[in-house]
Amino acid sequence: MHLAELQTRMQQMLLSGGGPDPALLALLADTPEQHERRLAVYRNNVRHALLSVLEAAFPVVEQLVGVECFTATALTFIAEHPPHRPVLYAYGVDFPGFLTEFRPLVELPWLADIARLEWARNEALFAAEAEPLTPDQLASIPADKLAGLQLQLHPATQLLESSWPIHAIWAAHQPGGGPLEAVDLQQAETVMVWRQAGAVRQRLLTPGEFALLAACVKQSPLAEAVEAAIQQEPAFDLRIVLARWLNEDVLERPIMTLLTS
Amino acid sequence: MFDLRNRTALPAQAGIGLRHPHLPEFLAMPQPAAWLEIHSENYLAPGGPRLGALERLRGDYPLSCHGVGLSLGSAAGLDAAHLARLRYLYDRLEPEAISEHLAWSTAPDGTFLADLLPLPYTDEALAIAAANIERAQQALGRRLLVENPSTYLRFQQTDWDEAGFLSELVRCTGCGLLLDVNNLYVSAVNHGSDPQAVLNALPLAAVGEIHIAGHARVATSWGELLIDDHGSPVAEPVWALLAATLRLTGPCPVLMEWDTNIPELPVLLAEAERAEGYLREITGASG
Repeated sequence: MHLAELQTRMQQMLLSGGGPDPALLALLADTPEQHERRLAVYRNNVRHALLSVLEAAFPVVEQLVGVECFTATALTFIAEHPPHRPVLYAYGVDFPGFLTEFRPLVELPWLADIARLEWARNEALFAAEAEPLTPDQLASIPADKLAGLQLQLHPATQLLESSWPIHAIWAAHQPGGGPLEAVDLQQAETVMVWRQAGAVRQRLLTPGEFALLAACVKQSPLAEAVEAAIQQEPAFDLRIVLARWLNEDVLERPIMTLLTS
Repeated sequence: MFDLRNRTALPAQAGIGLRHPHLPEFLAMPQPAAWLEIHSENYLAPGGPRLGALERLRGDYPLSCHGVGLSLGSAAGLDAAHLARLRYLYDRLEPEAISEHLAWSTAPDGTFLADLLPLPYTDEALAIAAANIERAQQALGRRLLVENPSTYLRFQQTDWDEAGFLSELVRCTGCGLLLDVNNLYVSAVNHGSDPQAVLNALPLAAVGEIHIAGHARVATSWGELLIDDHGSPVAEPVWALLAATLRLTGPCPVLMEWDTNIPELPVLLAEAERAEGYLREITGASG
């Protein structure tokens, strides 16, 4: 048997958990009664490695459904969506979508959005470095350029909009978090995840903040973005909000030529 | 007495594998580790605090970058995008040594299996591994050290034993050998061979780095199976094999690896200190 076929058969044996493959077993040395035990070491290694990646990325999902259910769910995901790149920090991007469709967990409709929040935290942790926008830089922009300014989100900054209280549920599962029973499950939430001084942070956004940041993602000029924010939140005050964002490092320093031209 | 042409720029002292839980202690103050090794794939993200920490530590310690995902044994060849990611990292860090495993982890359809899977030691596999190593050395612009794997099964179809296979790879590609003494011991026990005989058959002049680690022992219907889990102190027979290895290779960089049930940093450093003792023994220096 050529090496390519051997590797394909071994891949199927490792991921599918189906019955033994006689063509593969016929290639093995040692006595037949040893084969299953020896192959099992590799099967366990593969599952354990990928399961550990998902456990590290989705700790609150695991707490919500329990270790046993999480393991069974994750193993189904691994069999159906194995990684295609040897870079495991990016493995799990499809897990939230998988949870949406996974029938055994339809009773927990907010679970997939919790997974999206946890994935956003993972992305924020590994996103590229960039210089945050500072108050001085913003102050140096001539007043007549402000309306047309396109604010840039820092590469680590992520926005989430959910019909469920994802931030409250997440917070209840952190050390020292309040009881889950106190969370109003009818509450929709908009959340921002970002990175500051190397640590991943998250908080709720007001409707106006979310509208403005979402407009920035679409590269709308500031005047249009503020209009969208005021529509969602009539009392929206740009100066207060900008001061807070600059303090949190959620915006990126734009390329200087844009500021001076 | 020793062939020094194959030595890397790493010091012939004991280093440790740098793992995320120990980053804060390394950042807080200098630690008594002669050099550090990282798993390259843990630092391929665009940014973030871990990469930042490594870039800060890089200036203070000699560094070895140990790849766990290139899949030198893949029948379908190497992943060009992954080679490019590694090259970018290595050009930024300028490590004293880079290494990969004699194993495969990417299937022909591109699925990454996240484990170091065994190769049949055939002429076909030798040609594939040699071509992949040559391509990797070209693309990375550096000489690779290739590590002997721990294995749990063997294939009937073989043209070489593992030591002969590795010797041929060294001869054909000019790569060096990363001799993992724990892997050598684990595989020898799992396949009923004599570890000392395997050691003697390896291309020891090509050894550029040595690994040690702990393994687990599980009972089976036919005897004990050793699992290379890097989750405990180095076993006594592996220490003895390290001492025997150093007597043959001469002074060489030795790395203590610990990847599961990661202990407090002092436990890891104590294992490295014991390895340092074996290094002092062969150079005759007093501690």
